[in-house]
Amino acid sequence: MLPSLASDYFEFFGLAPKLHLDLDQLQKRFYELSKVLHPDRYQRKIPAEQQYSQDATALLNDAYRVLRDPLQRAEYLLKKAGFEIGEQRSKDVPPELLEEVFDLNMALEEMRDGDASARPQLEQARDKFHAMRDEIDARLKHLFVMYDAAPERETLGEIRSALNRRRYIRNLVNDVEKELQ
Amino acid sequence: MAYSDKVLDHYNNPRNVGSMDKNSPNVGTGMVGAPECGDVMKLQLMVNPDSGVIEDAKFKTFGCGSAIASSSLATEWLKGKTVDQALEIKNTDIVNELSLPPVKIHCSVLAEDAIKAAISDYKQKQSVGQAEAVTAH
Repeated sequence: MLPSLASDYFEFFGLAPKLHLDLDQLQKRFYELSKVLHPDRYQRKIPAEQQYSQDATALLNDAYRVLRDPLQRAEYLLKKAGFEIGEQRSKDVPPELLEEVFDLNMALEEMRDGDASARPQLEQARDKFHAMRDEIDARLKHLFVMYDAAPERETLGEIRSALNRRRYIRNLVNDVEKELQ
Repeated sequence: MAYSDKVLDHYNNPRNVGSMDKNSPNVGTGMVGAPECGDVMKLQLMVNPDSGVIEDAKFKTFGCGSAIASSSLATEWLKGKTVDQALEIKNTDIVNELSLPPVKIHCSVLAEDAIKAAISDYKQKQSVGQAEAVTAH
């Protein structure tokens, strides 16, 4: 049976809404669906079916892009569960992280103003934020397993916090790396 | 998206940029941030402990023009107000004054959070100071 255009990404692939997916299986299913839905196969069909083929192929590509990336997949699941992504008030951010971010931004500004003495500080910061990112990734992995075993809303909340924190740190790492180049 | 003239004015000529001694008992420091855009805002105020009036306010913000303008405006408004009056400043006041578009409302929220955080830091220092004064007797 052909997937409905109204289905969510998981349903479209005929998968259970889990945070951990078998990527080989996902890819296999992607190729199968691509073949079945391909517009070339619909050339002799009525316009409504041609339209379906186009829309379904677009949806398939969007779904595949999101589902194959663990972070995007988690964000998608959170959005579907009604969590707002990215919208985070400062009270959810650990104060010590804010301090670090502030100091780091000061150092970045000094570098931009041509003060090379800030460089070692930036290198140190980069390594530290890399380590923090790895730590968050490990925590996310753990939370994903937890959620798949028992899909609790509370776990999703924790996942959202971790994702937001990761986003914050990723932005920082990008800024620092740009400056160090 | 175009910034309003007032945002541009604060962005190009930010008022009260700088920092104060965060260890001073009369200085309250508020540090807030918005992870989604990488903004981080530090707002400090110095209170006259006898009158409860905010005598000076400083800020340093890393972020977009609206975040800088919101905090710059906040420091202007804080000076001369009592701590209680300062707590009445709402993010919507900032939105109206700067004509912030809906997508930038979070910047004004950040500024309000920063004011509240700075005042709560100041109050906490004061109550600790009083407790120490009592124990010293």
